[in-house]
Amino acid sequence: MRDAGADNMNDRIAAACDELRRQIDARVSSYFSSCVHCGLCAEACHFHVETDDPRYTPIYKLEPMRKLWRQEHTLLGRLGAVLGRSSGLSERDFADWEELVYDSCNLCGRCSMVCPLGIDITYMLRKQREAFNLSGYVPDGMQKALERTLDTGSPMGVTLKTLKATLAHIEKATGLTIPIDREGAEYMTLFSSMEVVNFPEYIESIARIFDAAALSWTISSEAFEATNAGIQVGSRDGAKEIVSRAVDAAEKLGVKYLISPECGHAYTAIRWEGPNLIGRRYKFEVVHILELLDQLHREGRLKFSGSSDTPMTLHDPCQIVRRGGVVEPPRNLLHKVASGFVESTDHAAMNWCCGGGGGVSANERAEALRLKVFGRKKKQFEELGVDTVVTACANCRIVLEEGLEHYEMETQVIGLTELVAEYLEQ
Amino acid sequence: MIGDFIDGPLWYFSAAVFLLGVIWRLIAILRIGVTVDLSVARSSGAGGALRTLFSRSLPRRPVLTRGKLQFVAGYMFHLGLFALLFLAQPHVEFISRRITGFGWTTLPHWGFMLVSEAAFAGLLLLLLYRLMHPVTRLISRAGDYAASLLVFLVMLSGCLALARAYEPLRLLHLLLAELLLIYFPFSTLMHAFTFAVSRGYTGAGMARKGVNA
Amino acid sequence: MYRPVSRTASSLLLLLVVILAPVPGGGASANNREEGIQVPNPGTDLWREVRKRQQPPLAGVKPPLNGAPGVDLWMEIERSKLSPVGSTQVKSVDSGTLINPFGDEWRRFRMEWLVPYGGYAVAGMFLLVVLFYLIRGRVPIHAGPSDKRLPRYTVYERMIHWFIAAIFLFLALTGLTMLLGRSLLIPLIGAEAFSLLASASKEGHNLFGPLFLLALALIFFRFVRRNIYQRGDLTWLLRGGGLIGSRHVPSNFFNMGEKSMFWMLVLVGGVTAVSGVILVFPVLGQGREIMALSHVAHAITALTMILVIIGHIYIGSVGMEGAIEGMTTGYCDLNWAREHHDWWAERCENNGEVITVEEAFEAEGFTPGAPKHHRPAGETAE
Repeated sequence: MRDAGADNMNDRIAAACDELRRQIDARVSSYFSSCVHCGLCAEACHFHVETDDPRYTPIYKLEPMRKLWRQEHTLLGRLGAVLGRSSGLSERDFADWEELVYDSCNLCGRCSMVCPLGIDITYMLRKQREAFNLSGYVPDGMQKALERTLDTGSPMGVTLKTLKATLAHIEKATGLTIPIDREGAEYMTLFSSMEVVNFPEYIESIARIFDAAALSWTISSEAFEATNAGIQVGSRDGAKEIVSRAVDAAEKLGVKYLISPECGHAYTAIRWEGPNLIGRRYKFEVVHILELLDQLHREGRLKFSGSSDTPMTLHDPCQIVRRGGVVEPPRNLLHKVASGFVESTDHAAMNWCCGGGGGVSANERAEALRLKVFGRKKKQFEELGVDTVVTACANCRIVLEEGLEHYEMETQVIGLTELVAEYLEQ
Repeated sequence: MIGDFIDGPLWYFSAAVFLLGVIWRLIAILRIGVTVDLSVARSSGAGGALRTLFSRSLPRRPVLTRGKLQFVAGYMFHLGLFALLFLAQPHVEFISRRITGFGWTTLPHWGFMLVSEAAFAGLLLLLLYRLMHPVTRLISRAGDYAASLLVFLVMLSGCLALARAYEPLRLLHLLLAELLLIYFPFSTLMHAFTFAVSRGYTGAGMARKGVNA
Repeated sequence: MYRPVSRTASSLLLLLVVILAPVPGGGASANNREEGIQVPNPGTDLWREVRKRQQPPLAGVKPPLNGAPGVDLWMEIERSKLSPVGSTQVKSVDSGTLINPFGDEWRRFRMEWLVPYGGYAVAGMFLLVVLFYLIRGRVPIHAGPSDKRLPRYTVYERMIHWFIAAIFLFLALTGLTMLLGRSLLIPLIGAEAFSLLASASKEGHNLFGPLFLLALALIFFRFVRRNIYQRGDLTWLLRGGGLIGSRHVPSNFFNMGEKSMFWMLVLVGGVTAVSGVILVFPVLGQGREIMALSHVAHAITALTMILVIIGHIYIGSVGMEGAIEGMTTGYCDLNWAREHHDWWAERCENNGEVITVEEAFEAEGFTPGAPKHHRPAGETAE
């Protein structure tokens, strides 16, 4: 698709610049006006910390956007443009920055937490990806994941048939009935394909938990996929389409709540970006599975018996905790079911990303870099000296497992919802 | 003659450029606006904006260890400069005579020496860090160096004029300060005002999600 | 190889000083009162008289009679070498001493020894460096520049080096202005412009002085471990450090010359800094004699440092190929390291610290605008 003619390319770059122009709002303009290039964001970024490569400085990844902003929003920049001292953005800018924008950023938001000027770099990078998407400079792996989701409903090509087969297995194992398309149910739940394919124990766990809590819930046959490659690629239209499917299905079934699964970006997509993508508020509320479990427990509908004394720590998924605001629920739950729970040095809103967020795990060419910067997680786990890590995101989980295997570590990774299900009072 | 110009018209001109420029820049930023966030907020943005406005003046532990040089030098420079600017006796006299009509308590001589030394050391170290560290060397632009250099020259000329016995030295200091005022609204020095806007936006955005930024 | 940014880095600091040097002089151009106003001044008359008497009388000329009252008293005190202490209501250090003959001794030392010989020494050192350059030339990297680099100084080490360098240069220039300005600058720029320059120098010198103490402390703690004398240092000294002759002299991270300069800087510079503090803050209970002695110590140690630093700057810049890179970029040429610090270079090579010049270039953070892994459009990474 990149072999198109030069005219076509020029059109795309022009469209990308227009998009960038549209993306510059008061926040962006204030952020660029404030940046004094102190370089502190680099110290918060695992890509820089682990490689010492200055190009992985978060604010540097925004050079294309900054360049356009400077030319069109500052006096000296406009003067330079008029005098012909600086040219506009060219194809080269997009080609050069593609790797920095997609391969070396997880949209994890750690840099945004430390900037002394309060600049939300992640907010801008997410916006910049919209322009990169239009320019055509998007990693193939991520592009394909988006296309597959739009075509088949799942980035991994999981169909309703596959899901039903998995559900049948679970029903057989648990003796429970998993309700599909039940109108009037209170809750509708979504999954991520990763859970259907790699971690069906998650689905089994929520079936058992919801049964124990006597929750009125259902799955929609029209939309069960929660992950949203659109927000990772930076395709507003793609993201909107994916969100719309879930919203339409939930509103059709008339549920009061939509449950976002453990997956991190799914939560950001449906909880925070969704209403803005479709341009209206939902007729239901979105709740993250951890929030729901915590709430059910507090209401006395979920009771636990016993707890695990295995020393374990929590890996906070960026999009759920730092960028999602579900900070306390996982901790409340862990304190109930894991007496061996300890916090790692940088935790909660300051946790280090697994390295697979923001679409990086779907981007094959970034694998070597991703495994290198996993060295940060390795150090974090080794410092703490625990052999079990709990997390609440299917993507984090698979990336952690790959990283641990790469570094030949014996650390176990488990899902929080499964851990909770294990200590349900029967 | 040239002294009268620096002391009179140029002073009013630079003060006007500074004042109108800063207001214009702030309006230009805010005028673009932001789209209304339709997602359901966990908590009000206003509280978060206010909290982040102050909390970002303190470093976060994880980055403090890696960036301690910048933090130490940064505090020395900023606090020193503030004290110099608003508590040095000649400045208070100047402000009182030309702007406010009233003065306030000034630093004793030893206090003045201390804060100016902190400010000089901080600025020099920050400038050297910018020149030496791979990250800042890569991301710094001509404007960053120009701003640092101009501030340094203003401070240095001020310190050379400390005896307060030579009119040319005072005029040199005033001239450089006026150049700084004129350059201010068009440079990264604007961060002295826009930091509040940036922190506010980020704090509000994160507070909506329920995160202490 | 040519490095525009590193040049900028080092020249920026020099620029600060260069820009500022002519500025105050320019400010006092309206100087048409060469003579000044004649005001009767009995104190000055007394001093003139005293000094006339101190000169050996010219043959055939009789010492003048009492021109001003008090001259005889002064001569009496000076002959007896005692400073009588009286009593006064004013309670402060030395307030009982009306006439301190030691002060005149100090004055004579400053005017007759310090100023001329200090001036000659600085000028002589400059001349020596130029002569040395003409005779010996730039010491080249014998094996030629290589395409390999060794990390030599960290960001922090380079920062504090240029921090102390900037402060030192500023203090040296302002200090020399105060010491030699009367004899050198007044004939050039006139008394009025010089008085302005001297005032500016004094204020600047006093304000930056304490910072030198801070910088010196930072340098000391950072570099002390590498500057402890080791075996082999003496050999280096005996062979003249390789500057004399062309024989290869092995050394460690720092050679004997650098180590000696470090200790000179710490010890001599320490005296300069402490005596400076005594001079800047005359509120610590020190009397005139301590002040005078501090001044003497301050001037002599500072001049010593200036002489040594002139040599340091020479070797670090034009005197030797490849010497300055370590302090600007943080990396030095592998061949340079092998020729000048071969024990250290060998250790680094064994530790696998050698990198290519391209790697060094990237790690330094140059080439803004060109990310590392540039792939042309349409290609996928291998």
